[in-house]
Amino acid sequence: MSAGPADRAGDKVAALTEALAQLGAERADQLSGAILVVPRAAIHQAAATAREHGFDLLLDVFAIDWLAYPGHPGPRFSVSYHVHSVAANERCSLRVHLDDGDALPTVTDVWPAAAFMEREVYDLFGVAFDGHPDLRKLVTPEDLEGHPLRKDFPLGESPTLFNDGRFLDPATFRAGMIGTSEGRTGWVGGARKGVVSAAPEADGKGGDA
Amino acid sequence: MKLDRGRTAVQELGRGALAHEETGEFETKLMRINVGPQHPSTHGVLRLVVDLDGERIVRLTPQIGYLHTGFEKTMENRTYQQVVTYSNRMDYAHSFGHDLAYVLSAEQLVDAKVPERAQRVRVLLTELNRMASHLLFLGTGILDMGALTLFFYTMRERERIQQLFEMVTGVRMNYGYFRVGGLSYDLPEGFVEKTRAFLDDFPKMVEQYADMFAKNDIFVNRTKGIGVIPPETAIANGLTGPSLRASGIALDQRKAAPYSGYEDYDFDVPTSTAGDANARIMVRFAEFEQSAKICRQALDRLEPGPIKDPDRRISLPPRSELETSMEAVIFHFKLVTEGFHPPRAESYVATESARGELGYHLVSDGGSMPYRVKIRVPSLVNLQSLEAACIGGLFADMVVNIASIDPVMGDVDK
Repeated sequence: MSAGPADRAGDKVAALTEALAQLGAERADQLSGAILVVPRAAIHQAAATAREHGFDLLLDVFAIDWLAYPGHPGPRFSVSYHVHSVAANERCSLRVHLDDGDALPTVTDVWPAAAFMEREVYDLFGVAFDGHPDLRKLVTPEDLEGHPLRKDFPLGESPTLFNDGRFLDPATFRAGMIGTSEGRTGWVGGARKGVVSAAPEADGKGGDA
Repeated sequence: MKLDRGRTAVQELGRGALAHEETGEFETKLMRINVGPQHPSTHGVLRLVVDLDGERIVRLTPQIGYLHTGFEKTMENRTYQQVVTYSNRMDYAHSFGHDLAYVLSAEQLVDAKVPERAQRVRVLLTELNRMASHLLFLGTGILDMGALTLFFYTMRERERIQQLFEMVTGVRMNYGYFRVGGLSYDLPEGFVEKTRAFLDDFPKMVEQYADMFAKNDIFVNRTKGIGVIPPETAIANGLTGPSLRASGIALDQRKAAPYSGYEDYDFDVPTSTAGDANARIMVRFAEFEQSAKICRQALDRLEPGPIKDPDRRISLPPRSELETSMEAVIFHFKLVTEGFHPPRAESYVATESARGELGYHLVSDGGSMPYRVKIRVPSLVNLQSLEAACIGGLFADMVVNIASIDPVMGDVDK
């Protein structure tokens, strides 16, 4: 079946781990492969070190917004640099955690391929990259305000008011589905009459729907 | 040199002529030209801002986002099985590739055991789709160079593949046939025979193409030495897939990190060292034969058997069980209404799509919807190599370069 992380992280990744340990990096492997969590101040140096260790193909730069992740302790965002060594056929990710408003140094001077990828992160998450040659939005329209892939960016769905007065707002509906609230349908007992919605803002706002 | 927007083109021209009279020299200026987004040769809605020095390209900036649909955000609000509805809508020319990349990554999260038959069928359909994608690439690519005839031939063959897909999935686009843990349902009767008949005919057709374009002097002169991307530049710009292999780097995820049992198939990875537009087209042309080879092997090894992971927590129970088993009804209800809950983890499986490395990075928070979906699409990253291919070349060759890099705009914009 699928190749596990062990298949793709060998001597090169081990050597890089050792080299980056001096910068304060730690391994935090996932099913997706080897991940090296690098302190924010050292990310550019870590990128250059990875390039020197033969990780020449930058596959992806992407951000994760941990805002709604249950029990996430650290800063709000993380940015990952997924790199591959063509000669050794090994790969790993460099990851850096940062708060809202923090900027990162660009790695376009290490891997020119980062140009579009960093623009995408900037566009969709609002993480700025210092020194990027052309830091503009990549995919969203110029007049769109905000960064759509942030977890607090609304989806633009309409809440639904049922005839019986039951109110269902999409966010709560989904929260029920992923197990962070009572139930997926918004029902919390009272199946036929005297219906109470699981949506916290249902009482006052029901008429607006 | 910046274009002075206050003056009209005629005024600029007049100024140049005046300078010529005074100094005896032409004042030359860079000309900025906008190509697209609605242009037949841009294969979708790709806008290019090109700075020209005479006929030579000095700078080229792709402007993208016209097809941005926010698939990642949508997927983060759908259950794991529902995501299959969206994954195939990005790269509409190689839909099965996207489906496969997604289900592999989701299966890594839940550690699903995909049965042998499902894996064979996946490989078979993905490779047929790769052929269909390359046929579309070849037809439209050569069409961009002015040769209309080949387009009809490649469409004829692609139509036969489309009919095979229609037979299996019921639709001709956006198939959505793979499921996390296996397949939606089994292959229909007569599919294997029809596929074999197609694969038997296919080599003759490929030979016909070779006569029509590959040995044609006009085609060779139009593409040889055009848009050369050296291997170092290709890697620096993140190029993957057939376009990278045309620059002499034999990186193919089916060989580098085999998935879905690709390690059991006997096939080669065609490469070329030229790195020009001709090499990029011919590498894809050579992949026809290899894909057909994989398809034949998959058909030979196709044994009857289950097509889904029997784990009821992941895949739906068979219809027949719903009438006799209470547990089956419960599992069915749970899966359809809520979906399954993978443990907290992150997964990524690299696959080789028709355009390059494709993978879904999934982050699970323990809920029934992915917390974060990041799609590593090959077309977006490959588009960065377009400038390297075009710089210093003629404006007329830009069309050849776009065609030879083969971006699908749905795949670029997500």
